[in-house]
Amino acid sequence: MPTKTHLIANGAVVDDTWVFIDDETPLGDTPAIISLDRLKAEADTLRSRNAKLGVVIRTNTQGKTKLGEDVRELSPYLDMLTTIAIDFPVYRNGRGYSDARILREELGFKGELRAIGEVLFDQWSFMARCGFNTFEIDSSIPVKAFNEALNELSEAYQPAVDNQRGVLWRRHGL
Amino acid sequence: MYRYDEFDHKIVTDRVNQFRGQVNRRISGALSEDAFKPLRLMNGVYLQLHAYMLRVAIPYGTVSSKQMRMLAHIARKYDRGYGHFTTRQNIQYNWPALDRIPDLLEELASVEMHAIQTSGNCIRNVTADQYAGAIADEIEDPRIISEIIRQWSTFHPEFSYLPRKFKIAVTGHENDRAAIKLHDIGIVIVKNDKGETGYEVHVGGGQGRSPFIAKKLTDFVPAKKLLAYLEAVMRVYNMLGRRDNSYKARIKILVHETGETEMRRLVEEEFAKIDASQMLSLPEAELDRISAYFAPPNYENLPAQSDAFEAAKEGNPEFSHWVKTNLVPHKTPGYGIVNISLKPIGGIPGDATDAQMDVIADLAERYALDEIRVTHEQNLVLPHVKLDEAKEVYDILCAHDLATPNIGLISDSIACPGLDYCNLANARSIPLAQEISTHFADLDKQYDIGELKIKISGCINACGHHHVGHIGILGVDKKGTEFYQISLGGSADEKASLGDITGQAFTEDKVVDAVDTIVETYLNLRQPEERFLDTYRRVGMDPFKEQLYAD
Repeated sequence: MPTKTHLIANGAVVDDTWVFIDDETPLGDTPAIISLDRLKAEADTLRSRNAKLGVVIRTNTQGKTKLGEDVRELSPYLDMLTTIAIDFPVYRNGRGYSDARILREELGFKGELRAIGEVLFDQWSFMARCGFNTFEIDSSIPVKAFNEALNELSEAYQPAVDNQRGVLWRRHGL
Repeated sequence: MYRYDEFDHKIVTDRVNQFRGQVNRRISGALSEDAFKPLRLMNGVYLQLHAYMLRVAIPYGTVSSKQMRMLAHIARKYDRGYGHFTTRQNIQYNWPALDRIPDLLEELASVEMHAIQTSGNCIRNVTADQYAGAIADEIEDPRIISEIIRQWSTFHPEFSYLPRKFKIAVTGHENDRAAIKLHDIGIVIVKNDKGETGYEVHVGGGQGRSPFIAKKLTDFVPAKKLLAYLEAVMRVYNMLGRRDNSYKARIKILVHETGETEMRRLVEEEFAKIDASQMLSLPEAELDRISAYFAPPNYENLPAQSDAFEAAKEGNPEFSHWVKTNLVPHKTPGYGIVNISLKPIGGIPGDATDAQMDVIADLAERYALDEIRVTHEQNLVLPHVKLDEAKEVYDILCAHDLATPNIGLISDSIACPGLDYCNLANARSIPLAQEISTHFADLDKQYDIGELKIKISGCINACGHHHVGHIGILGVDKKGTEFYQISLGGSADEKASLGDITGQAFTEDKVVDAVDTIVETYLNLRQPEERFLDTYRRVGMDPFKEQLYAD
């Protein structure tokens, strides 16, 4: 896990105005990313709060098989959320790719979808295709390298969340 | 055969360049071995006991003579003059230098080949019946849908970091030669009662530490919806598959722990959403485009019986034997399907030298409409040979030690690389396969024994398919000594079954005797026309056990 990260959005490094707040700390009136448990427990009061709200979905945390949290539980709260951060505890754990597509395609989430955790060079383009639009990456990596990585594979056979229709369709003008 | 268009070329070329960058970052130290691992794995590069190993994909086991010549060239230029054909219709090179692999991949790309997704926790090379397009009574050539699946699964952004590796196999024939029930997804091409062609989908088969026969999740998915159905299975697996323990991470464990009924419900629910979005509906035009590549080649109009062929058999008992074991009837009159055994007596199962690969390429070009197939039993096939020319083909094969007449017999065994190459193995597999093959070298004896499939794995991961061997042999390690556990009655065909363990394992010096005892027991018990497997299924384990553990 990188010790120091910067946030990339739209191909540039941007200021991160969001703060991750743990379950015990009271929320102020600045943009805050909280846990799924807290969101569910405090949803009523959070609705009347006057600042942007985000949530983080943790993978590999719960129960014997440690699958992690279920993004579909966010469905009743999506209108309250500006940002959803999805945690990749290790790059090998690819559950977050499905989380992202479910949020975008099934639940219609239009806000910021942020990849956090072990978010490495060779995963960025797959993450982008699955609907992530911001990335917390090692701050020693220049944004130029990030943008190049996104374009290493210029064609895709299958449709996903980005605008590529997929070669299997594009061959026929579909 | 399928040919790349501009898109396919671009995708493979981009990948070669990307991997070159990754190798450079690894060599410069910018990338740690740990971070490099998933990247090299997704390009088929393993770190073995002694060196890097490269696995090249042979999609659904089909290669042209030009491609085979390239595989020979690579064996010569980048390896030690040979390659190893695997149980998943791939070829492995055991000695390439890491810094030369990008060049090797670039050469491969020039003949429309690659090593993409031949390892790693992603969707692997799609395998299919090696007799596709050549065998009678096929519902549809399985390579058509296999090629579509290959494309859909290549660099799938959602399914490149799955809980574990994922293998798909397809058969278009009621006789399953692709072991589809031992795959994560097995597809059988079927016709419904309206006469439409579609796909029956089996999920959760596999070997390894916990072997399972796949469960049939659906009887019929039309071509247009198949990708949506597969994506639904994959998503359920990626969301719910276990990641806490790599031995419990394959989809077979998810199916087992979730239950077949609930698994079906989860997949149907996901499928309904994806199907409704129409996002993955396969265009008719694309199905037609890919089908056209697999249209039957231009066969000559020949009589069913070839006088030259009959005369050659008459005059040459060795040729006649080879025909009996290695030549299979073709759907077209006057043609045959020729199996090339890569199991010479005492040889290494699945190995071929660069010179042999070149000979096979020449034979394919001259006699077999330019096609070669790789079988999951580690042999090669010339799918379309004129019976009139079978003897010429045989003579050339003989001259290059490629005409061993043993397909399906006891010396035609499958073996994993084992302790000679692999850092997972407990025991050696190849030397044991060689010993067994030498022990039963006498062809008359082999013909008398008849169909008997021995499959040998050097460890519980079961790369040598021991669970589905008629006789399965598993290498186990006991305090630093190699032991072998034997199982009986396994089968990978349409009546797939897992073998039963005989009992206590055998030491290395006793295992060939044990196989001999099993064979003798069968010969004493068999009824006329009974194969080993039939006898075992009739009489069960007890008589074998009695003989094996008599003292």
